[in-house]
Order: sequence, then C-alpha cells, then structure tokens
Amino acid sequence: MLEAIAGILPIDKGNVRWHGKPLPPSRRREAMLYLPDGVRPYQDQPVARLLTFFANVYRRSTNEVEDTVESAGLTPVLYKRVHALSKGYGRRLMLALGLLTPHPLLLMDEPFDGFDLRQIRDVAGVLRREAAKGRTLVFAIHQLMDAERVCDRFILLADGRVRGAGTLNDLRMRTGLTSGGLEDIFLALT
Amino acid sequence: MHSHETFRVQDAPLRPLLVKELWEILGGRALWTMLLLMCPLIGYSFFQAVSLYGEASAAGLQSSVLANSLSPLDGVLVPTLGASYVAVTLLFPFVAIRMLGQEKESGALRLLIQLPYRSSTLIAAKLVAVLAAWVLSSVPVLSAVAIWGMLGGHLSGPETLNLLFGHLLYGLLVGTIALFAASVSESAATAAIVTLAFTIGSWVLDFTVAGHPGILNWIARLSLTQLLRTFEQGLLSLGLVVGIGAALCGFAALATVWLPLGTSIRTKILRSTVCVFVTALVLGLATQIKLSIDVTEDKRNSRRRSAIARDFGQALGRDCASGAGRSSLCRPAPQCVGETRTGAAKSFYSSGGRTPKSAN
Repeated sequence: MLEAIAGILPIDKGNVRWHGKPLPPSRRREAMLYLPDGVRPYQDQPVARLLTFFANVYRRSTNEVEDTVESAGLTPVLYKRVHALSKGYGRRLMLALGLLTPHPLLLMDEPFDGFDLRQIRDVAGVLRREAAKGRTLVFAIHQLMDAERVCDRFILLADGRVRGAGTLNDLRMRTGLTSGGLEDIFLALT
Repeated sequence: MHSHETFRVQDAPLRPLLVKELWEILGGRALWTMLLLMCPLIGYSFFQAVSLYGEASAAGLQSSVLANSLSPLDGVLVPTLGASYVAVTLLFPFVAIRMLGQEKESGALRLLIQLPYRSSTLIAAKLVAVLAAWVLSSVPVLSAVAIWGMLGGHLSGPETLNLLFGHLLYGLLVGTIALFAASVSESAATAAIVTLAFTIGSWVLDFTVAGHPGILNWIARLSLTQLLRTFEQGLLSLGLVVGIGAALCGFAALATVWLPLGTSIRTKILRSTVCVFVTALVLGLATQIKLSIDVTEDKRNSRRRSAIARDFGQALGRDCASGAGRSSLCRPAPQCVGETRTGAAKSFYSSGGRTPKSAN
C-alpha cells in the first residue's frame, strides 16, 4: 500500500490528495519519500559514501549529516560496506537516509524490524523528535505494541479492509475497551 | 533542518548522481574483470598484427604494388581494435547491465526513482558511467597504439581517431542496449540474455545472410557488426553516425520509458511504440544522407572510386576503338589501378615493422 501511495507501484484506481489537491504519481516524490523494508542499497559502497550521496542530492550541510549519523547511531559502522551491516544497522541506515531528506511526509515499512527493545525505544525517540519538527511519519507495522509506543494515530487494516482509524482513545471508545491496548482493540475489531 | 517544502526535480544537483554512478561502475568487479581479460586478448592481437605486418612489409620491399597495398590502418589498428570489438561485444554488456541490474535486484532502484531526478536524467547519468567504463576499457588499445608509435610505427591521426570514434559509438550502442535490457528485465541474468541476443545475434546475422541479394542483404545491414566496417575502411559516413546516434537515443529513450516502477505496462508499451516509430523515422532519414569523408592518408576510397570510373571509361574506349577484338571488358582495369597506386605516396614498414619507409 505504501508503495502505491508513493507512486512506485502502478494502481488500477484511486488517487492521492495533497493539501486537498490530487497529486499525480510523477509528482509524489516531491512531497513524500518511501523507505522500503528489506532493502540494502548499493551494497558495495561504504555507509559514509551512501550518506554523502543523499546529503549532496538534498544539499545537506556537514553538521546536518553529522547530526543524522549520531541520531541514527551509525557512527560505529560509518566506513563499513553496506553488505557487511547487520539487520539492525541496515534499518538504521535506511532511517538515516530518510532523515536526510526534506520531504514533509516520510513513509516507512516496518521501521523497527531487526531492533531489540532498547533499540526500538532509541529509534522511537529519534522518530518522535523528527515528528516534533513538523514532519508527518507514516509507518506500516505488524507489531502493534511497537506502533502503540511511537504513533499518535492508527489505521487498523485486516484482509485489505480498514477496521478502525483514529487515536488510541478514539479506538478505545469505539470498542468499549477503556483501558485496552492496541492489540486488544485490533482483536475486538477483526 | 527540514524546510517541509516540496523538493522539486529541477532543484537537485547533477554532480552527486554522476559521482555515485562513477563510484558504482568503478567499485564493481565486472569492469576490472573485463579489463583483466581484455589486456592479454588485445596484447596478443597487437603482437600478431605487428608480426604479420612486419613480414608483409619486408616482402613489400621487393614489390612496390604490395608495398602500396600495405597500411597500418588495415595491418595493425583494425586487428588490434578487432580484439577490443570482441571483448566489447561479449563482456561490456555485463558491465553496463550491472549499472541498473544490481539496483533492481537489491531494491535500490525503489529509492533511486524517488530522488529528485527525471528518469531520463538517471539514464543519462548511467550512460556517462558507461562512457567512462568504455574509456577505461580502451586503455589497453591506446597502450597498443602508443607502443606502435614508440616502435617507430606510422600512425595517421584522422584514420586512428576515426576508427576509435567508430569503436566508441559501437561501445556506447552496446552499453545502451544493455541498459535498455536491464530496464526491461527483472533480473541481471535476463538482461544479459537479451543483450547477448542483440550482439551475438548480429554476428549470426552477419555470417548467415550477408552477401545474399534482396531483403536478406538489407537484414544483414541491420547487424551491429556492420557498423564498424565503414570506419575500418577509413570512411567517416555522416549517415552512419546519425543512424548510430538515432539508435543510441532510441535505446536510451526505451530504457527511460521502462525505468519508472509506478507506470503501468500499457502506458510503457504505448510510449515505447512512439520511441520505436521516431527512431525508425530518423534511421530511415539517415540512410538518405550520402555524405562521407575519406579520412585515409592516401585517400584510397576516393581514388578507388575515381580509378574504377576511369578504368571503366578506358575499357569502354579501348573496346570502342578496337571494335569487338577484346572478350573481357574488365581486363585492363587491374593494370590501370596498379599504375594509379604506384604513382601515389604510401607509407609502409620493413625490418619487423620498425622503420618507416616511403614508396613513390
């Protein structure tokens, strides 16, 4: 779904609206960036070179790159080649690439895949700080606990249909589970 | 840090993209493996060519007709670059395919097409990298040419540059076909099969139907192998250059059409049809351009034409003067061609191809 929204998967029908106006697929990359899951781009290149490439494309300063490297926790692997990264560092690299871009909307597929609990909390903090700057982050997450930890609003999908949408309180009110977690709400709605 | 404004395509600088493509092609093993294979291949061809040319030149000291038929273009440059041609045909596609195929397989293409560059810009940047790879792969050939010069061998600038230009166009065409194949195919392996179908198919076409009359001859002229013949003869044909340029642009346009992942197959086919039509139109127009420049040092192509025309005229004149006494109209022709050639200045080599000599 995120690929279809980002315009990198052809769709049969439907459209994406941006500030109330239709946004054709060819112009979606101006407004949003999609970070796919399981992608290891340019595996023969060192991490630093890949980050420099993205930073130069979007005209980021050296300070901005250094901040991003620190936020994403990539300092220990900066000169390692991409193919040599662990799954967790691979995710951190994708996150750093996303942070280097200026798009108002960032779409991420399974951003916490490959992280342990402590790392999830760290990355969630980074993402929250990014959202606080005014950026909209949209995640596709299968682990509802992780989603509950980091997201403000939820769209619960099952079998290709929307089963619920809104804040955690909205969903609690709708299901009558006043103290229930997102997992309980999902089970109640599906 | 973030402006939260949309980032427009025209805002993106080109330099980082070019640098990335160059790093990609230089950092891959394919290019260096190809170079490793090319060096002995070209070296051996050069050695053989110089050896044979030296022997022929030595024999040429006894015969001015033989001496006049010797030229470093035919004797040394064409065989040496012939080895490069084989390598470019069989190995260069793998270098070019890697430029796009690996991005497809690793999923990096999904990131690349979201960058603020047009698809045509992405393909153009990859073509620049392909050009850089060709320049690197021509180092063994240029080394051979330099060694030939250091040995005292004669080189005609226009002839050499024309031949190198032909090989550059051929290399770029093979590279563009490979990019198109990588753009259309899901995997690098499929792209390699598609590209080799073009290049090796051209060889097969050349072997099987060349020399046949009619439509078969026309089909044989579509072979990529035929492209270099004109350059090897020392001719710079404007029509051929325009034709190759059109084919290059056509394949690059097709690669651009098939690059975006978010476009439906129907739309891609429609756009491809337009590309093919426009390319065919330009190719058709290119066949009408007859202008060609004889860049050979001895202007052999120009003289050959005029000699043939003159011989033909003389033959007709003799036949007319002597009535029906001669049975063959072509008999006097070789003598006349021999006289014409003997009268022209030619460079050749003796003593193993080391000493430049001039025969008049």
